[in-house]
Amino acid sequence: MSPPSELPGSGPGSAPASGVIHDLGYRPYSGPRLGEAQIAWALFTTGLLNAFGVGRSGKSKLLPFILLALNLLPALLIVAIMVFVQLDELPIGYAAYAGQTQMLLSVFAAAQAPILFSRDLRYGSIVLYGARPLRSSTYALMRWCSLWAALLIFLVTPIALLLVGALLTEADATDQLTEAGLAAVGAIVLAGMLASVTGLISAFSTRRGFGVVASIAVLLFGFGVIAVVQEIALQEGSARVGEWAGLLAPYALYRGIMASVFDAPVQAATPPTGALMETTYVAVSLLIVLGGIALLAWRYRKAAAQ
Amino acid sequence: MPFGEVPGAWMVVRSYSRNMGEEMSSGEPAPSRHPVVHTTALTKTYGAVVALDHLDITLGDGVTGLVGANGAGKSTLIKILLGLLRPTSGTASVLGLDPLRDGAQIRRAVGYMPEHDCLPPDVSASDFVVHLAQMSGLPRTAARERAADVLRHVGLAEERYRPMGGYSTGMKQRAKLAQALAHDPRLVLLDEPTNGLDPAARDDMLALVRRIGHEFGIAVLVTSHLLGELERVSDNVVVLDGGRLLRASATTDFMGVTGTLLIEVIGSDDAPTRMGRALFSAGVQCAPRGHLIAIEPQSAGDLDRVYDLIRDTACDLGVGIVRIQADHHRIEDVFATSGGADVSAL
Repeated sequence: MSPPSELPGSGPGSAPASGVIHDLGYRPYSGPRLGEAQIAWALFTTGLLNAFGVGRSGKSKLLPFILLALNLLPALLIVAIMVFVQLDELPIGYAAYAGQTQMLLSVFAAAQAPILFSRDLRYGSIVLYGARPLRSSTYALMRWCSLWAALLIFLVTPIALLLVGALLTEADATDQLTEAGLAAVGAIVLAGMLASVTGLISAFSTRRGFGVVASIAVLLFGFGVIAVVQEIALQEGSARVGEWAGLLAPYALYRGIMASVFDAPVQAATPPTGALMETTYVAVSLLIVLGGIALLAWRYRKAAAQ
Repeated sequence: MPFGEVPGAWMVVRSYSRNMGEEMSSGEPAPSRHPVVHTTALTKTYGAVVALDHLDITLGDGVTGLVGANGAGKSTLIKILLGLLRPTSGTASVLGLDPLRDGAQIRRAVGYMPEHDCLPPDVSASDFVVHLAQMSGLPRTAARERAADVLRHVGLAEERYRPMGGYSTGMKQRAKLAQALAHDPRLVLLDEPTNGLDPAARDDMLALVRRIGHEFGIAVLVTSHLLGELERVSDNVVVLDGGRLLRASATTDFMGVTGTLLIEVIGSDDAPTRMGRALFSAGVQCAPRGHLIAIEPQSAGDLDRVYDLIRDTACDLGVGIVRIQADHHRIEDVFATSGGADVSAL
């Protein structure tokens, strides 16, 4: 480094003209070190922000926020119309909203799951997590929680908006709160299933494009095929076949549970009938959620030791 | 730095003998009060492949170089020390802790810089190091301060705010090193930190490794397949070969004086040849080595006579003496002497 001889006032005896950067040398850290729970919480919040593009490049915020806005648009319009026209009933049920916007929801889940589940595998950063205190199963669970929470934000915000609209128009508050509450419970399960399915697909396909396409195919086309099967089964008079088929797609499970178990106004061709079938629907939904988490934990345990 | 040579001039490119004979060091440095790393008969096999074979090493503070060809077991050893791999048999301890039982505790106190790429391209080094410092247990504000500190120490300036996808290899290696130091570990395991670097960047990295071990007070285990590098920065060197310990001792032992004298003369083109012949006919054991002459004195007491003889012979022949210097061992001599004889047996 050359001395700043050209600067005035830098001669001997005079104070330096500009500030000096002092190299303090290496400073050891003696502050607190947090436990596993707090580390896990930090991973969860970072993952949740990353799912919406926060903390990543500027353009990665584009897609999640556009989808979120599109998802909220119908709810905003409905609320605006209700307030202006003074409707005393919501034109769409809380639980049915997710069915109407499932395309947006699927694209959001498919596009954001690879950010949480493929990125660390693809770029090798999983090794850096492996060399840190968090267990790989905790890592997998926190990643899942981040995606689940992001999907829940996606699902619950329009429900909350609709609820505000309904309460503004003096609809019966108890009824509205109950219906919205049930829809929120359904959203928790649906978000869990979507997080497990798209998370697993992303964790096993490290190429992002493939993960996105496969997730959309499984969620949307899978449901499309099941819906057709259910419709045909209904018309052929064998609704039971449709009920069984419904176990194969998360959206069909969601609609079936909401229509039968929660008695919500949701479009479902062949909702489960009978206690046994209803229980099976709930059990399969939970199996998808928990089985997905278990498989994710297994996947990352193998990856971290590589 | 003890030598001015370009680092990385020697590369381990062949397999070496498993029969170590006398070169294998049985008397490694006595374990200090609390060795940083200690292994006893550490063995790891993958089916028929033996990655580590009854490895006994003890590492102390400062910089320890771990040398070996690709597949010598360096990365396997690091993974066992981090508690990520279960050894087939034998035991290891890191900072007095058992990797099998206290893996998480070890990983809290140890930093790891992997050999391969591990940086997501759409995140800035600053954000990434902050996040990984948090993943090591630092609170967010402390993580931010530490990240700024270590990024400055590794020499990432303004570019730390740019996404890492656009980094050069040198910058990526610095970012990888920064994340290993983010939580102020007591030991860092650096797996091939100079991989893919040009000579200037390699010099910088090696200087940094040395600073970490000596100024930062963090024990360093650094691996390389380039022997020349470790000569320059390590206090101790462990040589692995086919999962076995070839030798472990202080770098100065490896590079001790051999007893040989090297002479450089100047004059006509055939001056070295004439000088060599004259010395030989005067009864001195000598041989050409490049443009130098290597002389083997019979004994230490013989030295004075040899010095006089060199002076007189040079005078007689009318050649100028440029220098007379003692010859030093190099780390690769370990391979040359112990491996050369038995390569065919592999």
